[in-house]
Amino acid sequence: MKILRCPMNGPRNIQEFQYLGPVRHAPDPEAASDAEWAAYIFHAENRPGVITEWWRHTASNYVFLAERNIVTNTVVRTFDAWEMEQMR
Amino acid sequence: MSALFPLQPGGAASELTDGLGPHAALSIRDLTPMPRFGIKGAGSAAWFAGQGVALPPVNRLAQHDDTTFLRLGTNDLVCLADGDNEGLTRLRRSWHDAAAPKGYWSWREESWAWLRLGGAALEGALQRLCAVDLRAQSFRQQDVAQTRFAHVDAVVFRCEAGFDILFDITLTAQVLAAIEVARHAAEQGEAS
Repeated sequence: MKILRCPMNGPRNIQEFQYLGPVRHAPDPEAASDAEWAAYIFHAENRPGVITEWWRHTASNYVFLAERNIVTNTVVRTFDAWEMEQMR
Repeated sequence: MSALFPLQPGGAASELTDGLGPHAALSIRDLTPMPRFGIKGAGSAAWFAGQGVALPPVNRLAQHDDTTFLRLGTNDLVCLADGDNEGLTRLRRSWHDAAAPKGYWSWREESWAWLRLGGAALEGALQRLCAVDLRAQSFRQQDVAQTRFAHVDAVVFRCEAGFDILFDITLTAQVLAAIEVARHAAEQGEAS
């Protein structure tokens, strides 16, 4: 069984989690071109290496972030969303 | 509200727990009709603190005025009482009379079933029902686990008789069936 560590609930079976996709920054609605909107909506970057993703612990409805290497499928770390706010 | 709920006065599992009384190897008491309510959202923790309730940390519980307070998130709180409880009634009335910010009503009294599990076969059954280590050395008296229990999302915590579980009321029959399977497996010493 694969284990993922929820920042609020601790290590849990992966079955307790829902994957919500990679963190993506939306284009500026006032300034973006049609091509930029199309790229944002229809194109997945799919870059190898470590990416940051949204995950949800379903039993507590707690949404958090995980850094995961999508080549090796190893989770580097999980953390609360406020940490990303602080990094900006 | 109290005139409408609970829909089954004896509890969600009232007709399904025959023979599972306090003397059964794995006893199940249906506490679904017992009073409880939940508040969540911005301002809910501050509102409770303003009522003089010493709130526990997240995923812990505290007792106050014969009421159990579960903290399921920074601003997600549930109050329960396994019998008529004046303090809980007073808190509920105060919340309805209070001005915002006070969080919002999370309808725990309608949407959750509440079962109390106990008995000699409980420990063996728990290993088959929940992946979280609920043994005394790992799961303390005041701990609260939000996890999968009997294949459904549930809140699990200790009580004097054993363990209490809260889960989606519509899944009551399924949870009871899973508990029965786990009890049987525990008694037979089978691998789950």
